[in-house]
Amino acid sequence: MKHTYDDFADMRTKAALRVMSLFFVGMIIIAATTSPIATGTKEGERAPPLEGKFYNGSGWSTFDSESYWDSNWQEGDISGQWLVVEFMDTDCPYCVRSAEDVSQNFEDFSGGNPQWDGAIVNFVASVTELDIQGHESSRSEIMAFRDKTANSGEDCAGSECGSRPGNAHGFPYIDDLDQDNMKEWKVGGTPSYYLIQPDGIIAWSSSQHPGEDLRDAILGLVPRAMNEGGA
Amino acid sequence: MDPNVQLLLYVIPTLIGFLFVLPFSSFLSKPFEERFPSLSNERGRLFFGLILTTLAGFAVSIQTLWISSKVSEGGNFCASSSVFSCDDVIGNAQYNTDPIFGLPWGGVGAVTFCILLYLVYSTSKEPNAEWVDSHLKFGTLITFGGFFIIALLVYYEFQMEKICQYCTTAHVANVAAFIGFFRLMRLNESEDWNQQ
Repeated sequence: MKHTYDDFADMRTKAALRVMSLFFVGMIIIAATTSPIATGTKEGERAPPLEGKFYNGSGWSTFDSESYWDSNWQEGDISGQWLVVEFMDTDCPYCVRSAEDVSQNFEDFSGGNPQWDGAIVNFVASVTELDIQGHESSRSEIMAFRDKTANSGEDCAGSECGSRPGNAHGFPYIDDLDQDNMKEWKVGGTPSYYLIQPDGIIAWSSSQHPGEDLRDAILGLVPRAMNEGGA
Repeated sequence: MDPNVQLLLYVIPTLIGFLFVLPFSSFLSKPFEERFPSLSNERGRLFFGLILTTLAGFAVSIQTLWISSKVSEGGNFCASSSVFSCDDVIGNAQYNTDPIFGLPWGGVGAVTFCILLYLVYSTSKEPNAEWVDSHLKFGTLITFGGFFIIALLVYYEFQMEKICQYCTTAHVANVAAFIGFFRLMRLNESEDWNQQ
């Protein structure tokens, strides 16, 4: 009689092949029906959440970065609101000097400037305390820096916080003194800037464009009324 | 299809499988024993329950992996303002990957249930092979380890104050698989393993 089976066959091989086939079918279905976007801080990736208490000029509340995102936003849609995230340290001299540029960008692009015909750009600062001697910070220092409080007694990079350049900032300042957000976002130094689309995807990161200005990035990437539908 | 209705596709086989791996499951199999003789003994019922459970666990894990991919695109699948909102749990970038390799939990579940399915399926096809004992011990060990993962994920859900129904189904499948593997391991050590 003809042998139709293998005397030395092992069910383990057959079972492994069948189960692996099932696994790959599952993976193929996922690959064919979705286009996942990684969470990260490089351009094109979905921004990780920003967490902590934030100060908005009146008090400290829990920050929810998810509330900024609009999953239905389409590229070129001017109604979506963009977000600039600044990672800074109130005792970092360059952050103090940049405060004036940040003030100017906030005033020009966040909806208060009638000459700006582009999408609204919101601003958020995540304030950390770098592990450098003399960079000891506190919530009262954050408040003094943000509000530009005169004679607060708080020291920002060697001078009184109220004397920093620029106007008072009208956007939220998140307390990241424990560096949680900074580590999560893998921020190498301060100040670092991220320009984020309304759908939560990072459009521009200062670390990927050394020497390029945040203002140029906003002007180049944020859709404007005259460009709507054409970009 | 409504996500909660779709969930039933995984819940029903998981629960049937769960019932079959429990002691005194013979009352469930009685009506089917004539058509499926393997269900007439304890070993056959345990194999059936385990295969069904691991298959459902694998399928629901693949579905959670699919949901996490969809949510990362910015889409919604089962978002809800109630406590049951799998989008909020699976889409939470802080908790939705394992802390060591950064793999999505759905992927971890899919691979784990595939390994369990392989262990039980190969054992059911060659129940008297010499490697059966190690397969059953390995399956028991993996599913026992799953309890720690479940504890971590439930802790995450408490942190988020949200419950992911799909994830919970996979957790129940792991519990059922542990009971099944443990009972099979004990049965394999007894003389009842080859009872007809």
